[in-house]
Amino acid sequence: MDFLANLLPHLLNGISLGLLFALIALGFMLIVGVMEVINLAHGSLFALGAYVAIALLGLKFPFYAAILLAPLLVALVGMILEVCLRRTYGKDALYGLLLTFGAALVIEEIIRVVWGSGEKQLLPPPELSGAMLVGGLIYAKYRLYASLAAIALIVLLWLFLEKTPYGAMIKAGAHDSEMVRALGINLTRLRLFVFALGTALAAIAGIVLAPIWGVRPHMGVDAVVPAFLIIVLGGVGSFWGAVLAGILVGIVVGITGAYASEWSLLSMYLLLIALVTFRARGLFGKKTVLEA
Amino acid sequence: MKRRKLLQMLAAGAAFYGPWKVHHAWAQAGQKKPLVIGLTMDASGQYGASGMDERLGAMLAIREFNEKGGVLGRRIEALHMDTETTPATGSRVAERMITRNDAAFLIGAVHSGVANAISQVAQKYGTVFFNTNSSSPTESGRDCHRVKFVWDGNGTNFNHAIVKNAMRVSGKNWLLLTNDYVWGHNTSKSTRALVEANGGKVVEELMVPQNTRDFSSFLLKIQQIKPNVIATAVGGDDIKALRQQVVQTKLDRAYAWINNQQDWPDVYGLGPDAVFGVFGTTWYYRLDLPGVKEFVAKYQKTFPGVQIKVPGNVFLNGYLATRELLRVVEEAGTTNNLAVIKKLEGRKMSARERMQHHDAWIDPATHQVQQTIYMASYNAKPAEADDIFKILANVPPQEVVDQDAPKACKLETYESTPSYEA
Repeated sequence: MDFLANLLPHLLNGISLGLLFALIALGFMLIVGVMEVINLAHGSLFALGAYVAIALLGLKFPFYAAILLAPLLVALVGMILEVCLRRTYGKDALYGLLLTFGAALVIEEIIRVVWGSGEKQLLPPPELSGAMLVGGLIYAKYRLYASLAAIALIVLLWLFLEKTPYGAMIKAGAHDSEMVRALGINLTRLRLFVFALGTALAAIAGIVLAPIWGVRPHMGVDAVVPAFLIIVLGGVGSFWGAVLAGILVGIVVGITGAYASEWSLLSMYLLLIALVTFRARGLFGKKTVLEA
Repeated sequence: MKRRKLLQMLAAGAAFYGPWKVHHAWAQAGQKKPLVIGLTMDASGQYGASGMDERLGAMLAIREFNEKGGVLGRRIEALHMDTETTPATGSRVAERMITRNDAAFLIGAVHSGVANAISQVAQKYGTVFFNTNSSSPTESGRDCHRVKFVWDGNGTNFNHAIVKNAMRVSGKNWLLLTNDYVWGHNTSKSTRALVEANGGKVVEELMVPQNTRDFSSFLLKIQQIKPNVIATAVGGDDIKALRQQVVQTKLDRAYAWINNQQDWPDVYGLGPDAVFGVFGTTWYYRLDLPGVKEFVAKYQKTFPGVQIKVPGNVFLNGYLATRELLRVVEEAGTTNNLAVIKKLEGRKMSARERMQHHDAWIDPATHQVQQTIYMASYNAKPAEADDIFKILANVPPQEVVDQDAPKACKLETYESTPSYEA
């Protein structure tokens, strides 16, 4: 009984952590699903979101205005990247990979040139910071708000994809882009919009996580690896797969952090190996023709 | 006919070259190649920020010597490659610098795994290597080498300065938070030994994998265990993230925190609130000692655009190590590695020269610089924005000597160390 009582805070912490992981992965998943491009610049755009928010705060923008405006500015960068990517569509996936890898390096270097290599801080406003007691244990208030923000964004994105005509177009584009084009939908514009949305989500995740992780030019690497892992774990293209995989990774990392701390980072990779061994297409991935 | 013409040309050439070869400038240009120093410093990864800071320190020392005409009449050329806080990269960079770039000496390391990797390659070629900032006790113990000199205080030195006092003030039940690599392991091992030797108890040791960004599960676990003191051996970007999260949860006020060593780049810019607990360092930019103010002014004049506006311990180690190497080469009158090593072993360095409170020396048995250790904490009354440390005490090197290092260190013989002249 004592063990379970001790375990409970770690379980809840794992879920909260998992929601943040899911938030990082969603934008990545959207671009992979619709564009069939593995966007290796996702991590750098994640970092750029945090830096742009810091810059806006430096220009005396109110906190909430800065965190709303920063993802829009990063989305513009994403749109430029999408325009650069156009010549790679329909070609070997390696072209897209190389281009986004190059973009990741360029964005990180631009961050270094503009903001320097040192640590920056994005402090949450007083009403979101501080600590609270949960079951006799001190927990950061901001972490709770960040998890709630992650839930809200996940639900909003789901509603957008499921309940709006734009969402239907995006899903159709992911399923069969040629058919979408044949129906008279402007696929070029659709792809541009999806890339902008995906990068805005990366920036939002960067801003939400900045007060927890700190802000440094290479912070994107810390985000893109779990994001990639979560997409594979959840099943490429599956919305709820990504959310569930994110939560699963959070729980595994949270619990190993408490009971076998040296395995806490490794645990997510072990989880991936275990799952892919028995279910190669991930939790909610669709069977391929070869598997049928 | 052809032979005669050739001889005429040779004679003409000799007649022209003869007077010139004794002319100083021409002779130098003809004979003296630049002295290449390889800077094996991280520019990315966990210790990227510290690596860049110590690089500036080394560059300042090299610049000072070049302004005086170089060393032994040779211009000094610095060659930097990013060791990426990765031991394998450290080995590759060292191998390349020595075999392809003719680096005469190697300087730089923050991560102990990287330092160890570089020093193995350096020993293979006999290349003198200065480990500037990595402070695992193994660096001057089990992993010491004839060619390697360790410039930072190590985990045991810092523990000697801090542990006893913290036990007396805060209590006997300790929890160790350990970065899961060689420096963390060996620093915590030394903390454990000192705690237990003084009647304390280590109630738990939590390993922190490198590149951990989320410490929430560690912080919850700490609260469930309820230790008196938390001793961290966590460095680089990991300690930055940990500090932020501890402050967010206000656990900095709930427990006594001991951070074995606090490097300046790891705390600079986080704001005064992120500095808590008691920690060790080897220098602070506001020490009231001769030369400190001038040194800070020189740093600010030389590097006006850098983010870290005042120098810290990591920068100073990079500077002092490089300066001392060049001085020794000049004194030895040669770049011969064995001559340089012999000059370094047992070398004494005055407190004034190093801007510390006590004289320092290089232990000939371990090749570690024995120096003043400072105990510091958060400064509640800062004189300016960057004045975030309060120096609590300075401890002479004699009182913090790592007694285990000489037992563990087995330096290679001179005979088995390859000799070279750069």
